[in-house]
Amino acid sequence: MMPAITRRQILQCASAGFGYLAFAGMSTLASRRSKADDSLATGPNNSNTSSNPLAPKQPHFNASAKRVLFLCMQGGPSHIDTFDYKPQLANDEGKKGRNNAAKLMPSPWKFSQRGKSGLWISELFPELGKHSDEMCLIRSMHCDQPIHPRAMTQMHTGNAQFVRPSLGAWTLYGLGTENESLPGFIALNPQVASSQNYGSAFLPAIYQGTKVGRPQARRGGMARGDSPTNAIPDLANSRQSRQSQRAQIDFIQSLNQQKLARDVVDPNVEGIIESYELAFRMQDSLPQLMDLSGESEKTLALYGVGKNPTDGFGKQCLMARRCLEAGVRFVELSHGNWDHHQRLRTSLPENCEEIDQPIAGLLTDLKQRGMLDDTLVIWGGEFGRTPDAQNGDGRDHNHKGYTTWMAGGGVRGGFSYGATDEHGREAVENKCHIHDWHATILNLLGLDHEQLTYQYAGRNFRLTDVYGSVMEAIKS
Amino acid sequence: MVHAAMNRQFSLTRFIHARLIHARPAIASTQSIISALMLAGLASSHSLAFAQEVVFAQENGNTVEPNKPTPEQLQFFEAKIRPVLVDHCYRCHSADGQGIRGGLGVDNRDALLAGGESGPAIVPGNLEESLLWNAINYRDYRMPPKGKLPDSVIADFKTWIEMGAPDPRSNDGVVIHSKVTATDIEEGKKFWAFTQPSIVPPTTNPYDSWAKTEIDRYVAAVWAKREIDPADDCEPETLARRLTFDLVGLPPTREDRDNFLARWKSDSDAAVSELVDKLLNSPQFGERWGRHWLDVARYAETSGKETDITFPNAWRYRDYVIRSFNDDKPYDRFITEQIAGDLLPAKNDQQWTENLIATGFLAIGPKSLSEQNPRQFQADLIDEQIDTTSRVVLGLSVGCARCHDHKFDPIPQSDYYALAGIFDSTETLYGGTRSIRNRHPSDWIRLPVQDTQSIDRPISPDELASMKKELQEKQAELAEARRAQRSGTPTPDNSNRNTSNGTRPVNPQIQVGVLDQMVAQLNARINSVDEKGKPISFCMGVQDDDQPRNARVLIRGEIDQPAQEVPRGFVQVLGGKTPKLSARSSGRKELAQWMVSNENPLAARVMVNRIWKHLIGKPLVRDPDNFGASGTPPTHPELLDFMAIEFMNNSWSVKQMIRSIATSRVYRLSSSYDPTRFELDPENHWVARANSKRLDAEAIRDAMLAVSGQLDLKPPKASLIATFGSTVMGPNGPQNIPLLLANATNPNDPNASTRANAMRNMMGQGSFRNPNANVFETPNYKRSVYLPVARNALPRALDAFDFAEPSLLVGEREVSNTAEQALYMLNNPFVVELSDALARKAMTQSKEPRQQIVHAFQLVYGRPPTSNEMNAANRFYRQSNETRTSGKKDEAAFRWLSQFCQALFGTAEFRIVN
Repeated sequence: MMPAITRRQILQCASAGFGYLAFAGMSTLASRRSKADDSLATGPNNSNTSSNPLAPKQPHFNASAKRVLFLCMQGGPSHIDTFDYKPQLANDEGKKGRNNAAKLMPSPWKFSQRGKSGLWISELFPELGKHSDEMCLIRSMHCDQPIHPRAMTQMHTGNAQFVRPSLGAWTLYGLGTENESLPGFIALNPQVASSQNYGSAFLPAIYQGTKVGRPQARRGGMARGDSPTNAIPDLANSRQSRQSQRAQIDFIQSLNQQKLARDVVDPNVEGIIESYELAFRMQDSLPQLMDLSGESEKTLALYGVGKNPTDGFGKQCLMARRCLEAGVRFVELSHGNWDHHQRLRTSLPENCEEIDQPIAGLLTDLKQRGMLDDTLVIWGGEFGRTPDAQNGDGRDHNHKGYTTWMAGGGVRGGFSYGATDEHGREAVENKCHIHDWHATILNLLGLDHEQLTYQYAGRNFRLTDVYGSVMEAIKS
Repeated sequence: MVHAAMNRQFSLTRFIHARLIHARPAIASTQSIISALMLAGLASSHSLAFAQEVVFAQENGNTVEPNKPTPEQLQFFEAKIRPVLVDHCYRCHSADGQGIRGGLGVDNRDALLAGGESGPAIVPGNLEESLLWNAINYRDYRMPPKGKLPDSVIADFKTWIEMGAPDPRSNDGVVIHSKVTATDIEEGKKFWAFTQPSIVPPTTNPYDSWAKTEIDRYVAAVWAKREIDPADDCEPETLARRLTFDLVGLPPTREDRDNFLARWKSDSDAAVSELVDKLLNSPQFGERWGRHWLDVARYAETSGKETDITFPNAWRYRDYVIRSFNDDKPYDRFITEQIAGDLLPAKNDQQWTENLIATGFLAIGPKSLSEQNPRQFQADLIDEQIDTTSRVVLGLSVGCARCHDHKFDPIPQSDYYALAGIFDSTETLYGGTRSIRNRHPSDWIRLPVQDTQSIDRPISPDELASMKKELQEKQAELAEARRAQRSGTPTPDNSNRNTSNGTRPVNPQIQVGVLDQMVAQLNARINSVDEKGKPISFCMGVQDDDQPRNARVLIRGEIDQPAQEVPRGFVQVLGGKTPKLSARSSGRKELAQWMVSNENPLAARVMVNRIWKHLIGKPLVRDPDNFGASGTPPTHPELLDFMAIEFMNNSWSVKQMIRSIATSRVYRLSSSYDPTRFELDPENHWVARANSKRLDAEAIRDAMLAVSGQLDLKPPKASLIATFGSTVMGPNGPQNIPLLLANATNPNDPNASTRANAMRNMMGQGSFRNPNANVFETPNYKRSVYLPVARNALPRALDAFDFAEPSLLVGEREVSNTAEQALYMLNNPFVVELSDALARKAMTQSKEPRQQIVHAFQLVYGRPPTSNEMNAANRFYRQSNETRTSGKKDEAAFRWLSQFCQALFGTAEFRIVN
């Protein structure tokens, strides 16, 4: 067997090395809590507490945001009918669009100026519009991918071609987490077949997102057959006491450790080791977190919980707040079915209604709890939609120009950044590529996207690859 | 020997036989007429109205549209129809007006034929199917809303629709010009994946004596170039475990392992070769490798999407795949059957049955059955078939060309529509019963060979008669409820009703929902048996349409924007001999044969890459489903080509290919860590060591069952979902309305309203919300490949461990290590049950705890514990003694042993194959 020091040096530059050290740190935390630490002592080196990869870390510079809530709208919400007011479309109605096949279709919905700032927001968001002075609209988004899965992957990882760590994983890697009993990165009701979008890729497995709840179905996730309390099955054991289960886990970990010692490098073994420690703690912390019974009627009503059609997404938003409060670094939740190729007039209002009250309630709640200042709320989909009609009453994908927005966390409220052309087809002013968007999010968290790197396969990787510039203008 | 003419006759009779497909009662009478006509070789099963024209068109050997309008007809349109449309409809239903309400445009012919959310506005020649006719007569729809049109105008529309709705406002003459030129395509043929595989022998290198097979020489040639030394061979114990999991998805039996180790001592190559042969010949091989295929075939037993409608016959395809791998069916034959089994000659009814079931491949895809527009539904169905077929077999994403030329590969949009014509001339049959939630039920194919023992219960004649009577009643009630709902009569005053006769009215909307579901259930049940009440065996699959047609390019893929017609054909850049397609057949058979011909550069490469991936752990072409320009080129192009050519030369034998790789020395490498080798190649592109593999969900579960002695290797009859029949799946089980509640809609039932509410909850939210009642978790001791696969709800054992997403083609599963998996291993009742079983097994071998520990290690890992592990086990034992508070000694000892066994299941070693 090699001397430990040499091995550690190798591990530090190897792809899986950090995970190994991650375990060392994790196991120390665990053993401080558990008396059954001698079984863990059989593994090499568990004395160095500073190597805990999830311990809160100092950012590169002073941060305005400490945590992130990402409201991910799946399918490509139409910016033209929600946050990007295009009066010129009404004048050009019926004219041939750029592709010369489809005709321009103005938004069927009215826009009005909301709040002191007078941001133009569609009537589809009556409640959210009340928060316009907190919101910073980025109306010049663009990305490289015209199809859903790839665009969604680029939105999460910056790269649609290769498996790369997701934004949440990078955030956790950069900042650690403040609650070691909960995953630092939680995906509530995640999209189906999307593990990659929450994955840690070559970053240690400990930074990957933990999925809570079934993949979101048609009506805002949990509304359909899932209650938050059974969102994670097998959370309790009827046959064993905590103490006896701890002894069982210690035995498992002891065998795992010995295997790791034999194999030296195996990210799967490391991942399994980490998974048990987190699982054990989650058994206590998650039921508490998921239990909404302590929330007042008033709070429930604020999120639209208990009434249609806001109940499902309302619960998700409320749960997200509870996660953030508990110290989870990065929470992502999903809302689906924004892919309005047809039936825009009937379906889009349904989608908007499902999220309008819940998000507005969330912003109100974060504000009244004093959390909005250092919580970065992000809303967006993988791309937007075309100004011209498709199938008569629908719009096609548009990755060349769309809108996302942010609130709290040190962004300039009541502000609109960048612009698309007169029809909303393409970003033309202060264009914000998805790399710029990533760079800015990291910046708000106090992380320099050019410095936040991880060495893998012989080179330093970044979320933004070799691109990205921070939109200084959106910072307050 | 059966000669050709004989064959043809056979297939003709079988063709008719197979076309005696499932008739839904609503159209039963029409259907039987059609069947009769079909027997006489006269009519299309689709439309009687066009029977003559079809025959005419076929006689002429072309497929022109039968309704070329005459000048008189067009004049009629201009004089009587167009002005009415412009005056009364354009405002809300044209691109130039206020928009396209309800998705329906009436400003051109294609838009009318495509229709809106509710279906086609005009079906030429068919008044009753034309929703426009329905609407102007103020039936289900009322148009124009401001007032009914004068009778004379309505009469004009009748005349117009009956004459075939002649309409000059069409995209005829619009031609989409591709930017992909003939030169681009010729140029594109030079791309590595589109060239013929060729043999480039490996260069002589220092590892020539190390190598045992040709595959070894190819891999070693790269080591020599990159200056990497290969790892040592792995230990024979490791190799036995690796081989057994890789080939059959189970841990080695004690006997196999002992034999292997004994043989290894005398002749290691013989040991490997004998074990490989034994495993390849065991029925468990097909269960393992069939499942790999089901991953790419996006196999599932429900429709997925927003309403998860069951496919109760999908399991037949699953079993077909498993049989095919066990029989080592030549891969080219395997593909041909799946794409065109219905068109292949058959030696006997048995083979004919097999061929029909194979086409289930095209029918099991995810479907949006609530889609309202039938044309959109059809376009999406075809798209799914093209996308899956081209990616599975060719590793090429032809589906990208639906809306525009392919962005990366030289595939013009017209290539997509050349294929679309083939699939559009194909009828896809996946079953189902019409309901609000399933707007696109289809027939099934009645099998030539019926099951001797059906899983369905026969229905007695009396019961059947009463069911049919009930169906009629419910249908009448439903029609009545629909009228009430549409008429918009205000809900009757509850209090008055209550005081007058003690009953409460039922919300018409709920009533419609409940009745609709009951009608669907009754239909499904009645249709599952013949007139005598005997269950009928059906399968999913496809049939050629009697009237093959070319597709038109759709501008940006939009169904109401058709441009020029494209002759049915294949993907040009792949070259090969494109046969002339007969006007009488879809061309599906020719497509299948072209895909797997020896001239096609992709099929063999794609399959050997998949096989390599499953054995070595990493594919040579990074994305196994994308061999196009946006994918990654192979790490070992010469090896890939060598294996592809070998594969074809060995009659496309999958077993032979597996044997070649599994008996190579490369396969035998150790996965052990070496810093130098690791640093030179951290991702192990050059395969100088073995990749350790996390077992997949099925292997983890099967291994627990196997070592605990609980595994039932006998394949089940059908599948759990088959027993539910045609229904909708909720997250925890089928959403059938229990018959107990059948009276819920009876307005005279005092409890009707409460029951209806209960039912509304069930229907909207999924019944059986209690996870303890989740049917997917019912104990099941069969191999995991037989677990139910509903697209929107998977058994935990599969879901937790990265099972292939059944709505997608999955060439390579994800591997994650999550807390959820740890929770499953720690707390899941089934895992606890199997741990108990293993503990009992260990206890029968010894009464002494120390010995029991050793036995458990032997059973689970096939080796005794190391001294360190023994120490850890002792520590665990002592701790549990300390923490134990009360209880009988024997019971406590058993409990501990069970927890110990569970811990062994939970370890990394159990889940990882080195």
